[in-house]
Amino acid sequence: MAAPILEYVGIRKGFGAQRAALDGFSLTIVEGETVALVGPSGCGKTTALKLANRLLDADAGAVRIFGQPAGEHDPVSLRRRIGYVIQEGGLLPHWTVRENVETVPRLLGWPEGRRRARAAELLTIVGLAPEEFAERRPASLSGGQRQRVGVARALAAGPSLVLMDEPFGALDPIARRSMQKEFLRWNARWEAAVLLVTHDLREAFLLADRVAVLEGGRVRQVGSREELMRSPADDFVREFVSEFAS
Amino acid sequence: MSQLGAFFWQRRADILALTGQHVLLVAVAAAIAVAIGVPLGVALARRPALARPVLGFANAVQAIPSLALFGFLIPVPLIGGIGARTAIVALVVYSLLPILRNTYAGIRGVDPAVVEAATGLGMTPNERLRLVELPLAFPVVLAGIRVAVVVGVGLATIAAAIGAGGLGVLIYRGVATVDHRLILAGAVPAAALALAFDFGLSAVEKRLGPRR
Amino acid sequence: MRRAAVLFAVLGALGACRAAGDRPVRIGSKNFTEQVILGEIAAGALERAGVPVERRLDLGGSFVCHRALLAGELDLYPEYTGTAFTAILKEKPIADPARVRARVAAAYATRWGLAWTAPLGFENTFALVLRGDDARRLAITKISDLVRHPELKPGFGYEFVERADGFPGLAAAYGLAFTARPAEMDLGLLYPALAQGKVDVVAGNSTDGLIAAMGLAVLEDDRRYFPPYEAAFVVRGPVWHNARVRGALEALSGTITPDAMRKMNAAVDRDGKGPAAVAGEFLAGLHLAGPAR
Repeated sequence: MAAPILEYVGIRKGFGAQRAALDGFSLTIVEGETVALVGPSGCGKTTALKLANRLLDADAGAVRIFGQPAGEHDPVSLRRRIGYVIQEGGLLPHWTVRENVETVPRLLGWPEGRRRARAAELLTIVGLAPEEFAERRPASLSGGQRQRVGVARALAAGPSLVLMDEPFGALDPIARRSMQKEFLRWNARWEAAVLLVTHDLREAFLLADRVAVLEGGRVRQVGSREELMRSPADDFVREFVSEFAS
Repeated sequence: MSQLGAFFWQRRADILALTGQHVLLVAVAAAIAVAIGVPLGVALARRPALARPVLGFANAVQAIPSLALFGFLIPVPLIGGIGARTAIVALVVYSLLPILRNTYAGIRGVDPAVVEAATGLGMTPNERLRLVELPLAFPVVLAGIRVAVVVGVGLATIAAAIGAGGLGVLIYRGVATVDHRLILAGAVPAAALALAFDFGLSAVEKRLGPRR
Repeated sequence: MRRAAVLFAVLGALGACRAAGDRPVRIGSKNFTEQVILGEIAAGALERAGVPVERRLDLGGSFVCHRALLAGELDLYPEYTGTAFTAILKEKPIADPARVRARVAAAYATRWGLAWTAPLGFENTFALVLRGDDARRLAITKISDLVRHPELKPGFGYEFVERADGFPGLAAAYGLAFTARPAEMDLGLLYPALAQGKVDVVAGNSTDGLIAAMGLAVLEDDRRYFPPYEAAFVVRGPVWHNARVRGALEALSGTITPDAMRKMNAAVDRDGKGPAAVAGEFLAGLHLAGPAR
């Protein structure tokens, strides 16, 4: 039985006077598995993700990361142990591709030789030949290339948990398809658990082991593709899934 | 025209010495203004609520006529008196606003996605400042410094009235004796200095330029 | 058409009537205390004689006032015979006050149609001034003593540094070579700078009110470098022809002693009184005839 690596129990998180983004949100992710969190836009998916690396803290409920309550982790060292990929990449524009990938190892104080070797290794994995791309700047790359660098950067320090927020959302459909296929390849090679947020159910079914459907601030159902399609837990899930099927 | 040139040549010792004093006044004031203005601008960027009153105050100070400020400072103990020190204090005061405002705007202007990514990767606020925000804000900050320096060259000519030296001395002498050649002997090098600083700092800005 | 011509003629005649007597006399002065007081004295005297006056005091240096007079922007201002002789006429200095006065009056009349009043009664020469303590400690009483002390920091106004008969001529005549380049500043700042120790020797005026007040030592001009500087008014020809103007100004000749001038300067510089008030008190003390204001 794989150990839980990220657990949300009865989370409540609100912003100001609006209705809480998360209310009674519970989800458990175990080592090595890939879970996709799907739901309509603005339903709190990104909020849930940010609770995992303490960019946000919950109002109520418990978040446990690597087996410890979120509050007991120092945010900075926690984040260096978790890979983080966002839409649009968020690459540092004044650094080269290589320097971007090396960010977390640099923060962790790795010696230069080890950093460079690791960067070259990851760039190769994500399909960007180091000889050609390492010294280029993000502005000279296409959207798809930038996302690859973002993924390489997230993996640089060898994290056991990777958070991805709509990682392929900003790409055109062709680039997105290509990246999704590549992701499957990469995912097969590394052992990290992945929590992937997306509004695209098709993508979720393609990339994840289990899919959690989020609506009204909580998880309606979490399960494999077959489970969701054959035995939807409620009307919302049924409709949500049926739009994909049709 | 050649007569003017001959006059400049005849007075070259004065002109060179006073240009040197002028550059020193401007450079020292700019250095102090940067040492105060950049950290203060960073602090304001972290607490935007403070920004309005502080920037508002700096703005108000700009409106004080420079000769009046020089005059006000003369009787102030410690930083006042007649001479270069008072002039430098006044120049620092006038240089603060462009540097402060540009530092604030530069840091606030960094792409929020980049800032969030940097935080999410595990940078402490200081690391973020050093590795991300300041480097990205630098062109804007430098533009503010450029404005402060160019304005400073002009203001420093007025400093001669309180015995601070600099090229203003020639201008005042020229006004006192109704001799336009002296006025030009002060004004032309001052204008040339302003242009030189402007050009030089622009070139530095451009070289650090398109990194966004 | 004819009515317009008549109208213009009438206006022209009225204008001409306004011309000589009733256009205000514009009085200027240089930019230091004594000059402003003298300007106020002239203004007050003319006003008591029923002549309208426009004050343009504290204008600038000697050259500014002179040019303004030539250009017809001013009608009169207080000047010193020595300044006119060496700075404006660019003559080599001579020591006899009467000769200087005569040559200045002649040259001004011939070249520019300007008239000089008789002297007001005092001289105001350049005074090299030190802090009293320093003068005693270093045993400096004459300008030539300064040669022994090149380390002293000089401070001068812009005009003195630039005028040929100012610092350049003085340094040449006495062989002065200060190590520091002279600090230059607004005239009003020279004495505070001396007091603050920013400078050690300044070129002030012998009638400055602050000299006694600050315990400063005035150095003797032992080589008689500076010419006599008798104070008087310089007046534009057309205005001088006005009998009332001439009468009021001539009534002032010989009325101001050096001591009186120093006291008036001190009243303004040390005690903070206004120059107009000081001038008014002086004129009242003269018991001038005519309608008081």
